Amino acid sequence: MRLKNRPKEIVQKPLKMITIQLNGEPETLPETSALSDLLAHIGSDGKTVATLVNEQVVRPPQRAVHILMEGDRVEILVFAGGG
Amino acid sequence: MDHLQLGAYTFSSRLILGTGKFSSAPVMLEAVKASGAQLVTVALRRFNREQLEDDLFGPLSEIPGITLMPNTSGASTAAEAIKAAHISRELSGSPFIKVEIHPNPQHLMPDPIETMEAARILASEGFLVMPYISPDPVLAKRLEDVGCASVMPLGSAIGSGQGLASAAMLSIIIRESSIPVIVDAGLRAPSEAARAMEMGCSAVLVNSAIAASDNPSEMAAAFRDATEAGRHGFKAGLMAESTEAVATSPLTSFLGEQS
Repeated sequence: MRLKNRPKEIVQKPLKMITIQLNGEPETLPETSALSDLLAHIGSDGKTVATLVNEQVVRPPQRAVHILMEGDRVEILVFAGGG
Repeated sequence: MDHLQLGAYTFSSRLILGTGKFSSAPVMLEAVKASGAQLVTVALRRFNREQLEDDLFGPLSEIPGITLMPNTSGASTAAEAIKAAHISRELSGSPFIKVEIHPNPQHLMPDPIETMEAARILASEGFLVMPYISPDPVLAKRLEDVGCASVMPLGSAIGSGQGLASAAMLSIIIRESSIPVIVDAGLRAPSEAARAMEMGCSAVLVNSAIAASDNPSEMAAAFRDATEAGRHGFKAGLMAESTEAVATSPLTSFLGEQS
């Protein structure tokens, strides 16, 4: 898991920012943000969305420990109306 | 009881509702309730923080007895449809997938080759595959052979309201098929749903006819009743057609008749 590799001292320092791609648009986040932090940031409780990072599905239990990295491509998907 | 059987799932309603094109989510939800539908389609789309009401999973889940059937709309290849199916199953927990692969937005006709490939793989992975297809009896049989839960031939082009333009081909598909045949797309009037059911379709999938009507809830109820009426008509067995009149009243012994 990426969390285990996270250097502990970084959490104590002023956070650097990283840029990811969220649904194709650039989004700036504090370094060491988890996928669940991103969901909270955009106002989703995460219950009705599917999440992918770099084309891989990240299931709900993994979102809190999946740390986003510079340049990650994140997709957050919902069920919309369709026939 | 007369139930629609799809895989291990049974439904008392034979009307499947699409949730697209409604003027608002509340209007759509009222129509779903009025329709009595137990299987409803949804489409996987990107989250939009400016349009939170686009997220229909929560509100649809609150309607009792609803099973979701995500579609693969937006896919123009088998690979894209398979990816959409996997993500949709993660989110919905439903084994149903409407395989919908149309490369050309002008006519929205389904690609039979990509559909066949996606259906074969998804069926082998345990999905209940519901492929949207052109009214092609040969393709329908091939899809049955690879384990689809149903076939869903179009009545006419998506959203066109041209009704059962494909009736002759649909009749062949119904006759040949050992899995449920569901007319998907093109219906405009409730009477067309009734006719499809009288022909022996197992269910109808309706969206635009309800969403684009002046009163979606009332139209949903009309399609509910028409689908049921058509099913009863099919089960009862239509009488034989005749080119000659066949009197229903006695033609002799009329009042004042001279014998």
